[in-house]
Amino acid sequence: MTQPIDTSIYAAVTAAIQGEAKRILSEGQVTAIVGYAAARRKGSAQPIVISQPDDAQKLIFTPACVNNLAVYLTKAKKEIPKTGKIGIVVKGCDLKALAGLMGESQLKRENLYLIGVPCAGVLGSTIQPDTELTSDSIAPKCTECNERMPPECDFVPAVQVPVNQGLEKKYAAEIARLEALTPQERWAYWKEQFSKCIKCYACRQVCPFCFCEQCLCDRNKPQMVETTPRPAGNFAWHIVRAMHLAGRCAGCAECERVCPMDIPLNLLNRKMAKELKELFEHEAGFEVQEKGPLNSFTDKDDQSFIK
Amino acid sequence: MSRIGVFICHCGENISRTVDVERVAAQVGKLPGVAFSTDYKYMCSDPGQNLLKKAIQEQKLSHIVVAACSPRMHERTFRKAVEAAGLNPFLCEMANIREHCSWVHEDKEEATAKAIEIVGMMVERVKKNRVLPTITVPVTKRSLVIGGGIAGIQAALDIADCGHEVILVEREPSIGGHMAQLSETFPTLDCSQCIMTPKMVDVANHPKITLYTWSEVELVEGYIGNFQVTIRRKARSVDEDKCTGCGVCMEKCPIKKIPNKFDCNLGMRPAIYVPFPQAVPNTPVIDRANCTKFKTGKCGLCQKVCGPGAIDYEQEDTLVVEPVGAIVVATGFDLYTIDEKPKGSAIKGYGEFGHGKIPDVIDGMTFERLASASGPTGGKILRPSDGKEPKQIVFIQCIGSRAREKGISYCSKVCCMYTAKHTMLYHHKVHDGQAYVFFMDARTPGKNYDEFWRRSIEEEEAVYIRGMVSRLYQKGDKIVVMGSDIAVGVQVEIEADMVVLATAVQPQKGADSLAQKLGISYDKYNFYSEAHAKLRPVECATAGIYLAGACQGPKDIPDAVSQASAAAAKVMTLFAKDKLEREPIVARVKEGGCVGCFACKKVCAYGAVEEKEIRDRQGNLIKVVAYVNPGVCGGCGTCQATCPSKSVELDGYTDEQIVAMIEAL
Repeated sequence: MTQPIDTSIYAAVTAAIQGEAKRILSEGQVTAIVGYAAARRKGSAQPIVISQPDDAQKLIFTPACVNNLAVYLTKAKKEIPKTGKIGIVVKGCDLKALAGLMGESQLKRENLYLIGVPCAGVLGSTIQPDTELTSDSIAPKCTECNERMPPECDFVPAVQVPVNQGLEKKYAAEIARLEALTPQERWAYWKEQFSKCIKCYACRQVCPFCFCEQCLCDRNKPQMVETTPRPAGNFAWHIVRAMHLAGRCAGCAECERVCPMDIPLNLLNRKMAKELKELFEHEAGFEVQEKGPLNSFTDKDDQSFIK
Repeated sequence: MSRIGVFICHCGENISRTVDVERVAAQVGKLPGVAFSTDYKYMCSDPGQNLLKKAIQEQKLSHIVVAACSPRMHERTFRKAVEAAGLNPFLCEMANIREHCSWVHEDKEEATAKAIEIVGMMVERVKKNRVLPTITVPVTKRSLVIGGGIAGIQAALDIADCGHEVILVEREPSIGGHMAQLSETFPTLDCSQCIMTPKMVDVANHPKITLYTWSEVELVEGYIGNFQVTIRRKARSVDEDKCTGCGVCMEKCPIKKIPNKFDCNLGMRPAIYVPFPQAVPNTPVIDRANCTKFKTGKCGLCQKVCGPGAIDYEQEDTLVVEPVGAIVVATGFDLYTIDEKPKGSAIKGYGEFGHGKIPDVIDGMTFERLASASGPTGGKILRPSDGKEPKQIVFIQCIGSRAREKGISYCSKVCCMYTAKHTMLYHHKVHDGQAYVFFMDARTPGKNYDEFWRRSIEEEEAVYIRGMVSRLYQKGDKIVVMGSDIAVGVQVEIEADMVVLATAVQPQKGADSLAQKLGISYDKYNFYSEAHAKLRPVECATAGIYLAGACQGPKDIPDAVSQASAAAAKVMTLFAKDKLEREPIVARVKEGGCVGCFACKKVCAYGAVEEKEIRDRQGNLIKVVAYVNPGVCGGCGTCQATCPSKSVELDGYTDEQIVAMIEAL
């Protein structure tokens, strides 16, 4: 049954973001702000970088503001000036990515001005931007979100996020379905999914954690991963990606959103996150963590596999 | 183009029995890049090595593969030979066709095919070997000695006499250790204090020795030749520079009845004290837990009476950092206290022997204090309970030691001899007394040791009873000892006035946590492990750290002193060169690909990864990348496995080499 989702706070959020952006830019607290602006199509939004106080009025927040803007701050992407403090508009899910990047020495908290967004959810990747936000049109990641108010930001608009209860947790349901399958059936499922991959690397391009200047999958001396979109190389790439994101990915689901072949990439990431939670009680969250579970050893770690 | 030489070894018949070595040589000779291949009965022998050297020169070989045993066995041998022939030693690799092939297979046909594949893999790998220069690291010619017992003192004196600076760290207020507590020493019965205290004074007066007593090692960083050691100097509450050691403070201190650990709690000491009159340094320390000034804020008598004004209640712990090139660990032993079972320990204890409950059941060290001229009784053997002279005394051997079912399986080594000594000391001091010894075996290997033991029986009238004691109990003012004499096959019951237990020698408390700070290994009892039981008995597996004395295992004084001098010799060997050479199998960062996530730094067990700034010619920061310090890197390859962008590689084991090997299969 379709449930409407209350997005009435978004107008107040937009006004608050604009006011704060104008203030910090004119006071010179930041050199630029990464945020969302309206795009050409009706109701759509796109990322924008502003550096003038007058441009602050361009900033918006709507259910179409789907992008994880953290990706614009990592080293591999050169869009943002390197010097000075940068402001950034962040949803709860995006803030986790920033925390992860800080833990991996890619960003420093003192170089950021965080404008947190109270978020009731955004639209799914296949939904037209001017659609009403409902339990059907909402992005799957938002059905499992429990971080609607980003904590410890420099500024958060003073509004209360309405509680949406009873949304079906889409990834959890899908993981449970796959876990119930036999290994052969699961293998067949992923084989089919990965066979669709055309190796466009959009997932890599959009991921805030894929910040390497030279991806190991592009190395040719020796060649680690076959580059042509053939089954073996596709499998290798997606497994490398899943392993590299294990313990780091906080589920912004950008990979899944940008995949032109509709491969359920975040499903794989969520499964890895679940494994790490069960094995090491580790979750990628708002806390800047010095070491992930795959980079450390404690005597509590499960060692049953050695026997 | 590489001109690879392949040398197949028969290893006598070890390889040639199962592998057709001639066919292997013929087959690999056809591989692209292989210029020469041959086989020989013993490649590691002198003629074999000469064959290799001659071939390198005559055939102008550029890379070498020796197909023989495990590289652990002879890699160094062949690399040396290759170097002697004028090639870089790291252009030589070994293909293991013995342990990995001939020893584990029976079918000659299949084993030969496998050997050809193994050698083929190494041929592909060696093509991608780089010339590696030997790494040299500077050596700081100062040494740290941890523990100021006889072993630590001996090591410190030997190293310092050689002209190198020594930092000697001791946890207690005075150096001297257990040897300072002993009365007389076997097998010559000379007074322990008389031979020990001059050495303690030598340490104090030696211009090359810096003595830190009442101090502990807090943190150890760095590597062989270049350690940085942080030492915590605990607050003494007495200024060492001002104190003259006059002792007035100790006389005036109103708190006098604190059991003195040095006297095994038989004697008493004040709250401001030196553990024993011959202490070095002769500077007291305030026991803050028992001092009225620290407990209530009142008193302050010692400060009032101190002429030089050395008492400082405000003193705090200080941390000193000392750069050293080598570390000698000489933390010694402690006696097993059978009534105090360590928590979570597998050791079960001997509740049936009443130690800690019956006052006249004491351990060997307590007997030493009773027999010592400087002890609490002035050298008279008197019972702790009533001060009477014991006329019947029973010694029981192997308490804790050699008792697998109780948790300790090793022999404590010193007890047979010191008990023999105790019976003599007793006989000398109590002429009408009788000593009995319950023992399993008498273990007396050592110069003049067995003669010493025989003397205790034949001349000093000790009665040795072969058998164990089952129970002890108090009966009036006597202790009834129930045991068996298995030589005669009868039960024995002795009404003794005093019982002395030869309790097991154990490592010092906290030995494991010190080992973790140092990064050295230890066994299940917490004794430190040597690198090789026979051939490297004083070195740790961790380079630059050496062992001396009972911290490595139970030892008597001659053994501890010998090992201390051996450890000192090892330190001096290290210090004989200005630079240290080491194998260049270390990780190297490819800075172009590194994005500075420092996952490598987080996983590095050696602390070898540093942050390095890359700047352009104008000095603008371009990026921060990882840098592996080759002097510190242990060559384990964990960083290589962790790097998400494969931007760090282990020389000699690069991804390119490993992939080339896989592709050769």
